[in-house]
Amino acid sequence: MAPLVAPRQQEPAAPQVAVTGIGAVCGLGWGTAALWQGLRSGRSGIGPFVRFDHSQHRTHLAAEAPEAETPPPNLARVCPGWRRLTIADRFAIFAALEAVGQAGLGANDTADLENVGIYFGSSTGGMYESELFFADFLREPRRARLSALVAQQVNAPGDAVARQLGAMGPVATFSSACASGALALGAALAAVRSGEVDVAVAGGSDSLCQLTYAGFNALRSVDEIACRPFRAGRAGMSFGEGAAVLVLEPLARALARGAEPLAVLAGAGSSCDAHHMTAPDPTGAGAAAAVEAALADAGLTAEAVDFVNVHGTGTPLNDAAEWQALQRVFGKRAGKMPLVATKALLGHLLGCSGAIEAVATVLCLQHGELHPVQGTGEEDPELPVSLVLDAPLSLPGVRAAVSTSLAFGGSNAALVFSRWAGQAA
Amino acid sequence: MSPPILITGVGTLGAWGGGSQGLAAALAAGVPLTSEVDRSAGYHRSGGARRACLVPAGQFTGWLSTAESRRMSPPSKLAVAASRMALRCAGLTDGEEEEGTAVVIATAFGASTNTEILLKQILFEGPESASPSLFMESVANAPAAQIAIALKARGSSLTVCQREAGPLLALGTGAAEIAAGRARRVLAGSVDEMIPLLHALLDRFGALARGGPEGEELALPFGRQRNGFLAGEGATVLVLESAASVAGRGGRALARVLAWGSGFDPTAPPSGWGIGHQALARGLRRTLERAGLGPADVDLVVSGASGARDGDRLEAEVLRAAWQGAPLPPVAAPKAVTGEYGGGLLASAVLAAAGSPPGPTPGCGFVDPELGIALCDGSPLPVPSVVLVTSLAAGGAGAWVVLGQGMG
Repeated sequence: MAPLVAPRQQEPAAPQVAVTGIGAVCGLGWGTAALWQGLRSGRSGIGPFVRFDHSQHRTHLAAEAPEAETPPPNLARVCPGWRRLTIADRFAIFAALEAVGQAGLGANDTADLENVGIYFGSSTGGMYESELFFADFLREPRRARLSALVAQQVNAPGDAVARQLGAMGPVATFSSACASGALALGAALAAVRSGEVDVAVAGGSDSLCQLTYAGFNALRSVDEIACRPFRAGRAGMSFGEGAAVLVLEPLARALARGAEPLAVLAGAGSSCDAHHMTAPDPTGAGAAAAVEAALADAGLTAEAVDFVNVHGTGTPLNDAAEWQALQRVFGKRAGKMPLVATKALLGHLLGCSGAIEAVATVLCLQHGELHPVQGTGEEDPELPVSLVLDAPLSLPGVRAAVSTSLAFGGSNAALVFSRWAGQAA
Repeated sequence: MSPPILITGVGTLGAWGGGSQGLAAALAAGVPLTSEVDRSAGYHRSGGARRACLVPAGQFTGWLSTAESRRMSPPSKLAVAASRMALRCAGLTDGEEEEGTAVVIATAFGASTNTEILLKQILFEGPESASPSLFMESVANAPAAQIAIALKARGSSLTVCQREAGPLLALGTGAAEIAAGRARRVLAGSVDEMIPLLHALLDRFGALARGGPEGEELALPFGRQRNGFLAGEGATVLVLESAASVAGRGGRALARVLAWGSGFDPTAPPSGWGIGHQALARGLRRTLERAGLGPADVDLVVSGASGARDGDRLEAEVLRAAWQGAPLPPVAAPKAVTGEYGGGLLASAVLAAAGSPPGPTPGCGFVDPELGIALCDGSPLPVPSVVLVTSLAAGGAGAWVVLGQGMG
């Protein structure tokens, strides 16, 4: 099937782009070590949560970032105004500093800060703090503290990261619902390839809030138990929160400065279903177009892909549409393709989901091992997929992986990561 | 330098009504089109701002179906109507299957009406009262998604949120989609609505213009007495195409996108402007260099200056630093007429590049002498060959686009 979006006309000299640092905070803890430990063991971060009173909501679970570790001990010291930051901003800064630290930027790198770009995705920014403000303001305007609103906008997490790092290159925030993080990474990839920036710090951040919790519940898109992507009886998503950041730079630049590439971000693609505000195109054509565009951008065929980190929300319609898309792209291989369903453990991080699933994909490539999810419930005979269940799947020769993000409004994004050729298998 | 991207259509709605002719007339007159904001909800201070540049009622007739009007949020309605206007302006047919069309829309505040109602439902009536139809239209990307659905645009669907810099970032992002071969055509633009709640909050932050010479609410970009901006709303959508695409269908271009770029001032506080004009000026110069141009080649600056005290100061410092002591070209500041919403800036810049005279900027006779800006005063100007469009956002982001005259 021909892609719906014209394949990117990549310049022959376009550089390979390395991932040299990753950072994350989520329901499994603060930092990528906690993330990988939890993912590898198939431990779900979804459970009871305390961020807001949800007694009147329809459901009562979320993967909330552990409060006990907030803030990590050194951050309040190195980050001016930490206590005034929104939760989403704190997540973003933590993840960015972890990623930049792993990449060795600042310590042994002389990146011109005017050539460092920040590309972020977020759905709600500081909405949680806005809700606290509006609860006061809408009752009695004079009682509300305006300062609580200062950093509530969607662009606040990306701006906060730029401010913290002193970055002076492009800063752009994408808010295309659940595809935001992946679209931000696609924009960052294009910026590094074109030479617009030397280094891109890209990812996403979102925190739990009542607006999205009640809204998705109103749509009856939330499962009352932890979500079960692609399983029979699945009844919706589970919420998560956190941030994820990847540092991208030309591979040659990374090697020249002695950085160790974790993976290569080989391609990105996007499309729109143009079908419905909340329901995916059931044929999967739009999602498949995004994956095919990403593969074309990477210069890879579908045969080169060894696993897919699926969007896998656990809603009946989304998973069914994604299965159709997988069949369009991978044909008869679709049923045998190992699928990683990160949302089953982290919940749905909305505008950050594409970014944290990109980090999970990089970790799987790096370790040659795919993380499992709990095999709750039965297989869905309508969706005969090969989910990695209950135990990690060792793939020591893994070459490339696709990560999909399929959003509200029909916005689809796909990323292709490959193992760096110089990396020991 | 890559081949230029052409702007072949513009659709715009704002306080002037619908269409670029109304905007051109408003700019030529140099008078802001404000109307009274509904203060009945009690959000406003008793002595606070009362006026904003609001879209008059009845602008969607002929542009939206009854079903679309019923189900869409105000920003989605504005965006879809502006998209159809833009396609008509470009001589393109609305609604054909279009696999290579991408949509890139900027918004600063998103669907404020829906968000306000939802928050009231959730916080005061209980979360189970939340309306699913309001929620699905409350997401920031609803306007982009509704454009894609209405026009069957199946390319990338991107929503950019970077406050005042968002519209120029959206235009640049759209141009990059074509330049990289990811799209044949792009609908790029900006949409925002101004509701009483948001107006009252902006006023409580001290952001709104509250004192013209006669006590009226008047924005005075770069003015000595500037003390805030006029809140505004509307939508502008541009049709972007490659030169080959336009030539292939015998179309005409209103303007060319010669270059785009952006930067950030990390000294800026989250909701204000900083002191990093030198770095931003270097970013501006790099943007011009991408088009093979220098500051001396710029015939007209269309500035995002809005009357904000610190924002206009920074904008002037950036321009002066970029020009390195050389005389600045004339500067137009259309937000004094359109209000502070990025679509007005976008449409005004395209009109200027297409040869429409920028008109006098309100308050042009009372420019702050410390800023060194020569505002357009309505005197006839030659049609500009190169227009620099600038916008610096509260929070630190800055974006620039370089436009040239159209071809064919």
